[in-house]
Amino acid sequence: MDRAQITKILKSPGKWGQKYSLWVVYFCTGCGIIEIPPVITSRWDAERFGVIPTATPRQGNLFLITGYVSLKTLGAIIRTYDQMLDPKYVVGFGSCPVNGGMYWDSYNTIKSLDKYIPVDGWISGCMPRPEAIFIAVTHLWTLIDKGLADGYKRYQDNYEFYRENQRRVLPHLPKFAGEYEAEAVTA
Amino acid sequence: MSSAQTIAGAGRATRELEMYFGPQHVGMVGNFGIVLTVEGDTVLGARANPGYLHRGFEKLMEYRTYIQNFPLVCRLNVMDPDPNEALYAMAVEDLAGLEVPERAQYIRTIVLELSRVSSHLLWMWAYGNMLGADTLGQWAMGDREYVLDLFEMLTGGRVYHTYIWPGGVRRDVPPGFAEKAYQALDHLESMLPEYDSLFFNNRLFADRTRGVAELRRDEAVALGVTGTNLRATGACVDTRKDDPYAAYADLDFEVPTRQEGDSYARALVIRMEVEQSLSIIRQALSRLPGGSAWTKTPNPFKWEVPAGETYVKVESARGEAGMYMVSDGSDKPYRVHLRGPSYPTGILVLERLLEGASLADVGHIMLSLNIAAPEIDR
Amino acid sequence: MRDSAGAAVAEEDQKRRIVAALRECRVTIPKQGRLVAEVPRDSLLTLLLLLKADGFEHLSMISCVDWIDAGELELVYHLWSYEKKVHVMAKTRIGREAPRFLSIIPIFRHAQTYEREIHEMFGVEFEGNPRQVPFLLDHWQGPPPMRKDFDLRRHATETFGVEEKAL
Repeated sequence: MDRAQITKILKSPGKWGQKYSLWVVYFCTGCGIIEIPPVITSRWDAERFGVIPTATPRQGNLFLITGYVSLKTLGAIIRTYDQMLDPKYVVGFGSCPVNGGMYWDSYNTIKSLDKYIPVDGWISGCMPRPEAIFIAVTHLWTLIDKGLADGYKRYQDNYEFYRENQRRVLPHLPKFAGEYEAEAVTA
Repeated sequence: MSSAQTIAGAGRATRELEMYFGPQHVGMVGNFGIVLTVEGDTVLGARANPGYLHRGFEKLMEYRTYIQNFPLVCRLNVMDPDPNEALYAMAVEDLAGLEVPERAQYIRTIVLELSRVSSHLLWMWAYGNMLGADTLGQWAMGDREYVLDLFEMLTGGRVYHTYIWPGGVRRDVPPGFAEKAYQALDHLESMLPEYDSLFFNNRLFADRTRGVAELRRDEAVALGVTGTNLRATGACVDTRKDDPYAAYADLDFEVPTRQEGDSYARALVIRMEVEQSLSIIRQALSRLPGGSAWTKTPNPFKWEVPAGETYVKVESARGEAGMYMVSDGSDKPYRVHLRGPSYPTGILVLERLLEGASLADVGHIMLSLNIAAPEIDR
Repeated sequence: MRDSAGAAVAEEDQKRRIVAALRECRVTIPKQGRLVAEVPRDSLLTLLLLLKADGFEHLSMISCVDWIDAGELELVYHLWSYEKKVHVMAKTRIGREAPRFLSIIPIFRHAQTYEREIHEMFGVEFEGNPRQVPFLLDHWQGPPPMRKDFDLRRHATETFGVEEKAL
């Protein structure tokens, strides 16, 4: 490790820690999930990038939306995203989150993910290759370095905007995320 | 995502819990959910919770011309995409009266069996992980890359191939493919005994899965089960033998079955099928006939398929995959109804087998049935 | 299934048996291994019982086709016989307005899911099916989407703001 790197780390150890341990929340949202097992196993080996899957969103800071998002999945994605702790990053994987992709005219899939949750980066392709995921991870590192991966801040600052869009396609959502119906919180 | 709720009745909480297994769950393969009613460690009842992957596939197909539907069909089931391409091609060939050259039939057989091997290896990763045998998954995914590299060489894509087209296949086998394929087959065949000694002959696997989630043959038939799940109950039923397509009628292979019908049997049938598939690919490669790899089709941009209806089916990795296509003579299909083999398995069979199961077994029962959620939701 | 002379023995035999039992049934053999049997709606259950007794014990699926110009919905029951290796499409037509039909769960247990989906996607009411609740659609407010009068592109444009592209 050279002096420039060490200086970088000492200046912002938090960023260094976030960048090199991006833990992906394990949620197979769509067909893009098929390239995730190769990515996290020995041939492509995401762990050398610090990327490992995590079972619970409470411990994950990278949300990879792999593939198309149906309306029912969008509800689950919003809940999962809300459960993640800041700072958290969202990457749209595949062309379906970008513009609807193959299902651009479907009655049940959303066409543009960043209307509903903030997206920090996109990976295009149908199906993107494992290398594309790693390129995206390195791009995300650059964004984190420059402080541009601020999707979670945008979400907080513009919550009404996002919530309005969410409720337009999911009218049954309550106005505030905490008010889920029939949610009995027990000890 | 699992949210536990206590069901309060008249101010007093019962011991039953309603839990959501999936969609966000480390043991869930694909975007699927099961709502479990649990008491202690026992599952009292289960309700399948599909719909997370519903795109309105069949409606989309009605709005696309026949060539526009071609890249869409493989996306029906991402884990085993080629049988769906074959279904589409066979249905259109039926309606349009197209003959497929023999060379294309053999190439299709190779592609379909490679898809089966790839799906079964992916299954091994998921199933191994579910039972805590992570090494099996790492090996299986590494070996699956050999198959994906073959797909990439043949079709240009690792996952979605858009290769099996009405009239044949999209392009002929490139030079060097057979050598690379034999290398891959040699490697995969040499790994199978390793898998056996690691996992399939392992006492731990047998202890966990013997006698779990037993499905009897008559019940399997009554519930519409096909594929490996049916063959694990003792029924020797395989569309490749019963209603042959591609080049299967010319090739020599066995259909493995077992009698117990439990999780153990289902897993072993899948393992034995990998061996048979590798043998089929070898035969097809060595006997690949000459000739063209496709038949000339009408101009795809103006193709109006004659009116009619047809039902075609293939043996995908999970069972009978079917397509009912109705054409009204226009340039778009009038109605396409897709049968995913996981449709009966993922709803009624799963709910029936999870009743009374132990909570620790829920994941591997679901995986032993090899349920692919996109086939259910479409 | 063909005999040594190449004739479609099982298909012809089955056709004879159906027509002998149900005169109003129109049976065609489109190709080897396939049979299409069309009956009026009141005879469909009899046809299914007859076929099941003849060894067609596997229900592949139940399809529904919206023939909007004729004002009818067509229900197609796909059956397969393991011994005869023949696939039968038993079809009937019902009216499009407030469509109702009998559930065939007593004959084929797993018809429940297919009928549930047809109920959701086409709006058909199956008498005797206890589980006609939402299946694939979640909080769906619109009309049954697989019907031909449901305009897909207009719905997608209005709901999601997607630009409609000319074909």
